[in-house]
This record gives sequence, C-alpha cells and structure tokens, in this order.
Amino acid sequence: MTITMFPAGQALEDARLVGEARRGDERAFARLYERYARIIHGVLLARAPGADVEDLVQDVFLSAWKRLDALRDPAAFGGWLAMIARHRAADFRRRAVESVELPADLRAPDRTASLSEAHAVLDVIRTLPEAYRETLVLRLVEGFTGPEIADRIGLTPASVRVNLHRGMKLLRDKLAR
Amino acid sequence: MKDTPVDDDRYLWDRTGEPDPETARLEALLAPLRHRGVPPVLPARQVVDGRLTRWKLPALAAAAMIVLCAGAAWLLYPDRHSGWSVEGVSGTPLVVDRTSGGTRTRGAGVSVGEIARLGIGSALTTDGGSRARLAVGRIGSVEVDPNTHVLIEPAAVGQHRMSLQSGTIHARISAPPYIFFVNTPSAVAVDLGCEYTLQVDESGAGLIRVTLGWVAFEHDGRQSFIPAGAVGATRPGSGPGTPRYEDAPSGYGDALAVLDFSAAADLRRAAALDLILSTARRRDALTLWHLLRDGTPEDRARVYARLAALAPPPSGVTQEAILRGEPAALNQWWDSIGIGNRSWWRLWKKK
Repeated sequence: MTITMFPAGQALEDARLVGEARRGDERAFARLYERYARIIHGVLLARAPGADVEDLVQDVFLSAWKRLDALRDPAAFGGWLAMIARHRAADFRRRAVESVELPADLRAPDRTASLSEAHAVLDVIRTLPEAYRETLVLRLVEGFTGPEIADRIGLTPASVRVNLHRGMKLLRDKLAR
Repeated sequence: MKDTPVDDDRYLWDRTGEPDPETARLEALLAPLRHRGVPPVLPARQVVDGRLTRWKLPALAAAAMIVLCAGAAWLLYPDRHSGWSVEGVSGTPLVVDRTSGGTRTRGAGVSVGEIARLGIGSALTTDGGSRARLAVGRIGSVEVDPNTHVLIEPAAVGQHRMSLQSGTIHARISAPPYIFFVNTPSAVAVDLGCEYTLQVDESGAGLIRVTLGWVAFEHDGRQSFIPAGAVGATRPGSGPGTPRYEDAPSGYGDALAVLDFSAAADLRRAAALDLILSTARRRDALTLWHLLRDGTPEDRARVYARLAALAPPPSGVTQEAILRGEPAALNQWWDSIGIGNRSWWRLWKKK
C-alpha cells in the first residue's frame, strides 16, 4: 500500500474531505484514512499491545465514519480522530484486565532478534509519561517529523518539540540502565 | 543535557542537521513496527436529499452554542429571513420604522413583552430606563442596553447587518463566520462565533469584549482577531487596535492605546513598547502577533524577537518574510501559536 505524505497545513483540505465524507463519499474518507492511518496506529501503539493495534486502527476509523456528524470543526479532524483512538485504547486496556489470564507456558511468537529488540524498546517507551510516549512512537516508529505530528494531532509545534526532547532524554536514560 | 530544545535536536525534530546516531539507530530498529494495515470496509452512510438524517445536540449549553457556531445547524436550515424583530425587555424602547423612500417615519414605543418587526433602515433607541432584545433571523439575539441607538442595515442574502451608533449591545450568535456584522463609526465587528459585548461612546470610539468564540474587527483592510477572554478597542480615523487578554500584565491597555492610536512621533511610544515586550507571557502571543504589522522596522524587529522567543515560528517561516508582512508566513505562524485555527474562517470567507 502506498503511504502518501501530506505537507503541513492541511486543515482546509481535511474540512473539505470531511464534508464530502459526510455526504457518503467513501473516496473522500479513504483520503482521510491515507493521511491519518499511521498517526492513529502510532497513538494506539503507544498504549496497546502491538498484536492488537491494527484491529484497533480499523475500529477507530469505523467509529469515526459513523460519528462524522458529531465532529464540530471539520478542520480539526486529526485531533478528533486522535481523541477517539486514545479512548479506544483506554477501553481496550480496561477489557484486557478483565480477560482470562493466558497460560504461563504459552510459547512466545517466533521473532527475529532485531524484532525482539524493537518490541523491547517499544515496551520501554510505553513506560514513559503519556505525552512523551505518543510523540516518540509517532517520530521513531511511524516516521513523522515534529512539524507533521503537530499538524496532524492538533498540538503546537513547541509542545511537540519539548515532548520529543524530554521523551528522548528519558528513553536514553532507561535504555542505558 | 539541557531540559529545553536546543539546536542539536534538529534531527530529532525535523531530520535536519547532523543525524543523531542514537535517534537514527532507533528509527531503523523500530520502522518494522510501522503501520501496514488496510482500510476498513465501510457501512453505507444514511444521506437523504443531500441532508443528514440525524444529528445530536450536546447536553451542555456552551457546547451546543459551539456546535451551532461551527455551522452544522445553519447548513441544515439556512437562515433566509431578512427581517428582524424587537422585544421590549424593560421601559419603552422606541422604534422608528422607515418605509422605503425614507420620507415617512413614525416612532412607536415597544412595551415589555411586546414583539414588533423591524425593517431594513429602522432605528431602535433605548433611554436610561429601557432595554430591548433583537432577534437576528434564526441565528441569535442581541441584547440592547439602556441609552443605546442602533440601526438595521441592508445586507446580502443570508447575512445580517446592524449599526451600533452609540451605547452597548450584547450579541449571542450561532452561525458560521461572516454571517453577522455590526458597523460602528470606526470599525466593523465581524462575528466568527459566538458571544460578545460591544460598546460605542459619543465620539465613535468602540470597545469589544468577547466571552465566547471569536470576533474580527475590520476597517479599511485592517483586521484584529479577538478570542474569548480578550478585548479590542477601535477609534475613528484609526480603525481597530491591538487585542489583548483581559488578564494581560498591568499597563497593557494604556500601552496599547498609545501604540495603536497616538501619532508616530509620540514620545511615549518607545516606553509603551518596552512595557509590552518586557512583560509579555506566552499567552500574550495574541497581542504580539498583531503588533507585527505596526511601527517602525526596528519596532517590528523587536516584536518579532520577543514573539519568536515565546512561540518559535514554524519551520519555513523566516524573519524576513514576517517583517515583509507576507500573509502566508503570518498565517502559518498564527496557526502554529495555537491561538485559533484561521483556516476555518478563511474557508467561510471564500464562500
């Protein structure tokens, strides 16, 4: 699948696409999916187990499609979508705590050494404060720059930059131990 | 390591500068975990006759106001009423109803609880003991305080316009931007959604206080954007001044009055700018952004420096572009400061 990188400042385009999607235009919604799927994946990956995240991404976009009428400011689609993702992740965690404990002798999935290390680093990122872990996942896993993160999730560039800086400092300290 | 972003964070921030080895290593390690999913299969949306079949109002009154200001209700039920109505709230407000041609007038008092239609060109006057409430089509209302004189002005289809000649009104409007306008002797208040108080004195000078949403003050191409919690002044011959938050540092109001409305040679200007810049908080980026358009090149460079320290401009926005007054650069910086997203207003203004 081709991932399209959008330049910063797409709020006007988002508003137009949301308007068309509200009228049932699935192609318009597909454009919004292209723009935000990796962002939502990153928001969820910062909070939920990796194996479940792709399913959760689909849940979030389905939920958004059904609830488009409730979006007050179409130009703020990205921030609204990120909020849905965070709530979905919180719901998932609550249900995961209530679910049956897996057998201790269940074999771990077959992974290469580097993929195991990647998951280990992700586990460390998930122990960081929420504001830092989400920004770091979007930067280091999903590959967005700081300005792109700010543009898509509705934070100021200054906030994103501080979160990246402080988050990376904490991550380095924890990985060095 | 310092706790604030420094130049050597450029690679972490936007992949410019020398690549940081640790960041690059983590990027390469974690990239395989990136999203590679597919879009969901979407159920059909119910759309009937080009309009949505259902929508829900939030429970909170303030949230409902914001929903309506965002335009959802207006889009469903476009307001095509050109007439206004007035209701007497206290005392006996006086209505002068001018017929077309303007040669015949008749004044009539509006009793408490009585509702009367107002045509274009009609005037409403309250004395010291009377108050009134104007219904603005189906988009909102305007409370008219004692000792106030207003006129109903002609407007384009779908828009509503009035003049505040003197006195005080309180507007509460639920419509998209650029639908409701109030002319004053020195500027036009353009509603960007939703509540404000506007006062005009006998000299034609005005003061707007926004309590919810945004208002733009415009005159002869000069604009000020005023958010909730902020005030803006206007003077005949000068147009709208620089907005400030009501909790701005002490002395801001007087200092801005000097910068906005005094002569270029006024000796107080230097001290006024010193006060503004030396006490500015991050929140006062609203004020500093507006000050970028005024003053000498040296003044504007100082404003730029202070604003950049409080709210760094986004990548691609240069000092040169800002000091040249390039609209795209100014808009980008505005959007990045996080005061409010002007792209939504620009969308409606184009329409």
